Amino acid sequence: MLVGAFACAHTPQLLIRPETEDRELVLRVHRAFARVKSRLEALRPDAIAVIAGDHVEAFFLDAVPALAVYVGTECSGSFGPYRYRLPIDEALARAVLQEGLERGFDLLYTQEARLDYAFYVPLHFTMPAPPVPIVPLHVNVYLPPQPTPRRCYEWGSALGEILRARSERVVLMASGGMSHFPGTERYADPDFDYDRQLLERLRAGAGRELGRLTGEELDKTGNVELRTWITLLGAVGGARADVYCYEPSWHHGNAVVEWPV
Amino acid sequence: MADAHYRFPPARAYRLNCCLRAIKSDPDYCARFVADPRAAMTEIGLDEAEQTALSSLDRGALATLGAHPYLVFMAELRLRIAREPATLEYF
Repeated sequence: MLVGAFACAHTPQLLIRPETEDRELVLRVHRAFARVKSRLEALRPDAIAVIAGDHVEAFFLDAVPALAVYVGTECSGSFGPYRYRLPIDEALARAVLQEGLERGFDLLYTQEARLDYAFYVPLHFTMPAPPVPIVPLHVNVYLPPQPTPRRCYEWGSALGEILRARSERVVLMASGGMSHFPGTERYADPDFDYDRQLLERLRAGAGRELGRLTGEELDKTGNVELRTWITLLGAVGGARADVYCYEPSWHHGNAVVEWPV
Repeated sequence: MADAHYRFPPARAYRLNCCLRAIKSDPDYCARFVADPRAAMTEIGLDEAEQTALSSLDRGALATLGAHPYLVFMAELRLRIAREPATLEYF
């Protein structure tokens, strides 16, 4: 069953805290993450299904999937001084893969891929005690092919059906967003107005609208990573978002959000 | 979306993007690059124009050659951290 749905920023500056960042802003985001952790401890999930985009770490130009499921026993990675290793709920991951295929989604799977900070940063701050296994779900964002927002929403709808039919208590967590432009001339010029307007629509329960956005709009507003949110919105539909925080830094719109399920 | 920020890298830039990704994700290669950039770039097979652009981290030239912007961003960061370990200060 699906017991919770969250979106969490994953910008690595939240983890490594360099001197370029506003300390108080970072700590406010940490406090929002702490609220998520408390909620997860109350929800007592058996697994957290994390929807995240790869930062050209797990997949490169030899094979780049639009959508993928990690079906393994554990996953690992590193960022700066941090090394991480997380158990995967293999049975649940395989069920998501097989049920997804049955529903017409030609998913790639991997048993061995390095997970980058898109998976790790939110879990570093929100993993409940005792920790639970994860199901890493890859939605491609940076290195084409990027799935269309409509496809992401459809995959999320199927994912919601699959998880609701399971006996395990599962939390969905979308990692990433909001506006930022890494590696481009707009890095210091995110579109915070777009983010704020979008959050108002989500507060009003208009999540279904996001499935009608275009890839071009996401790219222009620095929101290619919102594909992970749109996937989650496919599972929660018109639920009204509870925005824990929106903290615009000099390079990134940091949001932490919960949707009731 | 020919003008998208994150578009398909051209196949002619494959080796260049391989080099950027190795700097980003392979600590041993990154260390070799810091020690001897020319040798490390030759190892991957970059041509003279690519080596010149990457040696000076010329973002415009790298983009023109087909480098993926996220890889340029992270390769720059890795090299900066490797060359100046004190760049990251924790609070």
